[in-house]
Amino acid sequence: MYSLGIDIGSTTSKGALLADGNRIVATALRNAGIGTDGPEEVVKELLRASDLDEGQIGVTVSTGYGRTLYPEAHYRVSELTCHALGAHFIFPGIRTLIDIGGQDAKVISLDGAGRMSNFQMNDKCAAGTGRFLDVMAGILQLRAGDLAGEAALAESICPISSTCTVFAESEVISHLAQGVNRKDLVAGICESVATRTGSLAKRVGVTPPLAMSGGVALNEGVRGALSRYLGVEILFSPLAQFFGGLGAALYGYQTYNKEN
Amino acid sequence: MTNQEILSVLAEAAGNPKKQLHHHLSQGRKVVALAPVYAPEELIHSQGFVPMGAWGADLELQEAKAFFPAFICSITQSIVELGIRGAYEGIHAMVIPTLCDSLKVLTQNWKHAVPSIPLIVTSYPQNRGIPAAQDYLKSGFVQISEKLEELGGTPFSEEALAKSIDLYNRHRKAMRELSSTLGKHPRISARQRSDIFKSAHFMRKEDHLELVEGLIEGLSDQESGGLPHRKEDGPASRTRVITTGILADHPRLLNILDETGFHLVADDLAHESRQYRTDAPTGGAPLDALVERFCKQQHCSVLFDPGKGRASYLADLATRENARGVIYFMTKFCDPEEFDLVPVKRNCDAAGIPFLSIEVDRQMSNFSQARTALETFKEMIEQRRM
Repeated sequence: MYSLGIDIGSTTSKGALLADGNRIVATALRNAGIGTDGPEEVVKELLRASDLDEGQIGVTVSTGYGRTLYPEAHYRVSELTCHALGAHFIFPGIRTLIDIGGQDAKVISLDGAGRMSNFQMNDKCAAGTGRFLDVMAGILQLRAGDLAGEAALAESICPISSTCTVFAESEVISHLAQGVNRKDLVAGICESVATRTGSLAKRVGVTPPLAMSGGVALNEGVRGALSRYLGVEILFSPLAQFFGGLGAALYGYQTYNKEN
Repeated sequence: MTNQEILSVLAEAAGNPKKQLHHHLSQGRKVVALAPVYAPEELIHSQGFVPMGAWGADLELQEAKAFFPAFICSITQSIVELGIRGAYEGIHAMVIPTLCDSLKVLTQNWKHAVPSIPLIVTSYPQNRGIPAAQDYLKSGFVQISEKLEELGGTPFSEEALAKSIDLYNRHRKAMRELSSTLGKHPRISARQRSDIFKSAHFMRKEDHLELVEGLIEGLSDQESGGLPHRKEDGPASRTRVITTGILADHPRLLNILDETGFHLVADDLAHESRQYRTDAPTGGAPLDALVERFCKQQHCSVLFDPGKGRASYLADLATRENARGVIYFMTKFCDPEEFDLVPVKRNCDAAGIPFLSIEVDRQMSNFSQARTALETFKEMIEQRRM
């Protein structure tokens, strides 16, 4: 049976298609989230890539902040539950997951069986999220995807406030005016996100193995800074951005089988 | 009256405090407003006033910002905002206790921001377990009584106070019984439950008691309570939880609790059940009974408790009520509640009771994060069943 998970976030839509709850058939991503045609485009892409039609999909589950806006879904599940399921699917035995998305950050504890046992969300602020990185990249005339490469070339780390995106923006401009090396600034920006999220993780409690999910997980600069801050290795999968969609598909498969 | 009719009356009262105030005034009654958290209501009642709760409102703060820093409890700020906007016009006095730092600040700001409405400050002893605390509290109550008389109240009378204490004890008993009854009725929504408790702050206790007793009787008559099924609601699908904190009365927040599928089986909210846990003793001097009542109150963040008994109280309450989780509504910038959060969470963790903390304040406009947190909490609890 095919199950489809669609993760509708603030800035992107991600989807995953699973066969029999254990084989990834396709994944798809569009840089268009809530209120756009991103979700529909992702589903089309999944069907195209898997050479399936809609009638062959047994169950569809939506997740993410836009989960209620996808009427075709059979089930709607919170993104924390789905990210935990997806992460456990890729990294069985994982005990802590840090998900940094476009507009928020979450830390999830899992028990030995992969069930969520605790979670914490950030406090309604863009600091420590993908949005923070986007704003900073904009000031530095970089793309968010270039930040990790730039940070890797830093000679030192220029500290940036992790309290507030608006304050940090002024701080970065001030550093630029003083002639601070852009690479050092980018390293500081990555460190700022890591510090913010790391303190959130410490509130929940960090038990290894620990993995990251969400778009910011792709940023090696943030991953490295977070690993140093928490003193643990961070597991990474190129599918990190699809954990939500994978978890949604998995939830659909498990729930469908239970109910039928 | 049917249960549905009683619930409608209570919802109307909860949603329209200004209408209640005007109703009292139109009946020739004198009204005294009571800021959180505790006030000697019986004393105020016995001297001919209708005590009305003033716990602020969900509104955008504008005028009050001139009097407060940004990082202070929005309940106190919204009380001043309402005062400046004239929402309390017609009342005889505002009673403000000094049970936390924000309330102390509120007393001074009220005097300057709303000079047209007299202020009565109630000072409480911190260490309530020593005889000096009782003497101090009693002298404070005497001062309040004198001020009430100056404001047009009837002179203090032991007989009148004893009658008021009797009424309030009966009301408290009814509210405890109702809370217990509601735990057996998942068809009563979180919104309806909140309306029942909130309306008690605005209605005359005599009138509220009658409705509550009618509701208890009506709900005990039949399993369904004569109430319609809630949407997507098999009783078994509702997850039993208890709530704690200062208050949680925002309709959108309550709707999310209902839509997510929670059944509030008990609460430890200052605005709700904490008001009704402790009765005043009867038989002795009534003013001493009021003093004793306050000194006996337990498990509240604004009452000094070096042992933090609230933590074990909540875990025991959850176990007794067969609750599957505890939801801590953390009022933003509330120091006393922040202090209690850690021991409460630790106790719940140790007892294996799922725990969720959600930040709330009087200026919430975006509930997406609260919805996600509550949905995730429900899913987390359900996963444990598997």
